[in-house]
Amino acid sequence: PQTLPLDQIQLPVPDKRTGKIQHLPALHPSRKKDRHFVLYKPPPQDGTPALVEEFLERANFIANDLDWLLALPHDKFWCQVIFDETMQKCLDSFLHYTPRQYDEFVNPNPAVEEVQKHLHRSVFMIFLRMSTHKESKEHFITPEAFGEIIYDGFLFDIPKIFDLCVIFGKGNAVLLKKMIGNIFNQQPNYFNDLNETVPTILQVFSSICDKCGLRLENHSQRPQKIDAPTKVSLMDMPVQEFKDILLYLCDTCTTLFAFLDIFPEASRTMQKHEFIHRLASFYEVIVPELESAIKKRRFDETSLQENLWKRLSHSRKKMIEAFHCIINNMCLQPILENGSDNILPFIEDFLQIFTALLHQKRFLTDYDEQFPVADDISLLQQAFPVLDETRTSYIIKAVDSAWEASGRSKPTFATGNT
Amino acid sequence: MELPRLTGALRSFSNVTRQDEYTVDSSDLMTKRSKLKEYYCQTELTWNDLTHFVENVAQNEHQVVSENLRTLLKAARQLVGIEHEQETVESAAVFLFKTFHDKDHVGHEETKAVKQMFGPFPSSAATTACNAVYRIASNFSEEELQKLLCANEPAGQNSHVHFGKTIKFSFDSFVLEPSEELPLNWQTDNQKDFSLDY
Repeated sequence: PQTLPLDQIQLPVPDKRTGKIQHLPALHPSRKKDRHFVLYKPPPQDGTPALVEEFLERANFIANDLDWLLALPHDKFWCQVIFDETMQKCLDSFLHYTPRQYDEFVNPNPAVEEVQKHLHRSVFMIFLRMSTHKESKEHFITPEAFGEIIYDGFLFDIPKIFDLCVIFGKGNAVLLKKMIGNIFNQQPNYFNDLNETVPTILQVFSSICDKCGLRLENHSQRPQKIDAPTKVSLMDMPVQEFKDILLYLCDTCTTLFAFLDIFPEASRTMQKHEFIHRLASFYEVIVPELESAIKKRRFDETSLQENLWKRLSHSRKKMIEAFHCIINNMCLQPILENGSDNILPFIEDFLQIFTALLHQKRFLTDYDEQFPVADDISLLQQAFPVLDETRTSYIIKAVDSAWEASGRSKPTFATGNT
Repeated sequence: MELPRLTGALRSFSNVTRQDEYTVDSSDLMTKRSKLKEYYCQTELTWNDLTHFVENVAQNEHQVVSENLRTLLKAARQLVGIEHEQETVESAAVFLFKTFHDKDHVGHEETKAVKQMFGPFPSSAATTACNAVYRIASNFSEEELQKLLCANEPAGQNSHVHFGKTIKFSFDSFVLEPSEELPLNWQTDNQKDFSLDY
């Protein structure tokens, strides 16, 4: 039985030319099988028989190869995943291109559905195995070596982690939390990578605004391109372009929420870039304009208009939930956990975040509708009875006035000073 | 058409990935097919093993079995193409034996397996192979056949427990969760833009 960690095991191997025994690490490229994994392609949307057939052939190759990989013993599995680039690209292509259920992709072919389900499960199991440094008492890798292997070999990277959360996070949250938690714990460089990724996420917000001909609050930081084409307004752009904006928004918001829901510990890193303020500004700018455009544009099919509305409504919900995840992780949870000790910095954070948000009236009312601000403030008051009431009542009044300005009636469950 | 995705943008514009450039075309399917053929050529069960194994049948069945082996080889040659070496044809015949040993007709799964191995193929060749294998296999018990097929599998592959087999997995995924329907009075909202109050 294997007693040493896999990264320290040496195996006796006869030299092919001399026959002399030499010792090689158990994790060595020569132990990789030349399997040649093919890349994943999503199912064809139009159901053309030749394309369906090609998809099935490709998908069945992958399904068989993944089954083979899952059946490999611990040492051979790790040799394959570390040294087989075709396997890594295959997994990456699946994560990147597999349809998300919210895409509302429908392919009625039962064989397509069956193999998609097979791949869905197998890909998850491969990533689960790759995120486990201790598979059993006998089969394990030292945590430090594991951290290096997964990071240096790009077995996991931030886009893949985001994909894993959005593809598998709804149904397999418990396992996925352990997986992602273990990856970040064993390799803190992922926090640095996340930190480097946040500006690109913010850039995606700006890019969506640009496509809509809108500008974010902090947009002036970026120089305007001299030869930038004149923007088409949301009312005039081709319907496909308009649809793409909604698809992009929907995917962006769902993916962000999925990641934060699975790994709320990312909140502090994201907030280094004032993420939630940027998110709220983005919401404030984009939501009313898109709502208005969906209502006013002419659509050949009402079903498309309804679908786009649903997509926007879903995106709004996910942006608010993502915001709440961060508030909860950074302020509310520590207050609840710490009792009365050392909670002042968290209370201060909460008050500062909301004070800075008070001019984002549309965001504020929508947030308050889902997560009543007054309830959180009441929590703060219970945890810290000598809380400065001037500041809290200022926030509550601002929320109420945002409701008044919106012309909508505040739901009865959103408590406040109304 | 590729759907716009947040992680697509992160792959393209952040510097935290390997920045793999890959395009999916059908050339990798060709490569995969030839790899599979190579793999089966290297599997331990050989044509010799098979011919040796069938010698165990009763004396009066010898001729029938030999004829069926010849039919199987002929069908294998049709599937791999006449330009291939005898060795490749024999390993194709072994593959067909493994595929059809417990089947009395060419079903969906078998068609899939044969196609994966040889690409598009004449169905008559598969049917001929299947019938020949069926007639050969009917001379042996299930146990004898399993012994032949499993004795030569590479060690540690089929015997190992499939990782994750006992892990509960859910197919539940994120779906659209709209919090409100398209307002029925949106046309009224629209009309607010027009005013007769000059």
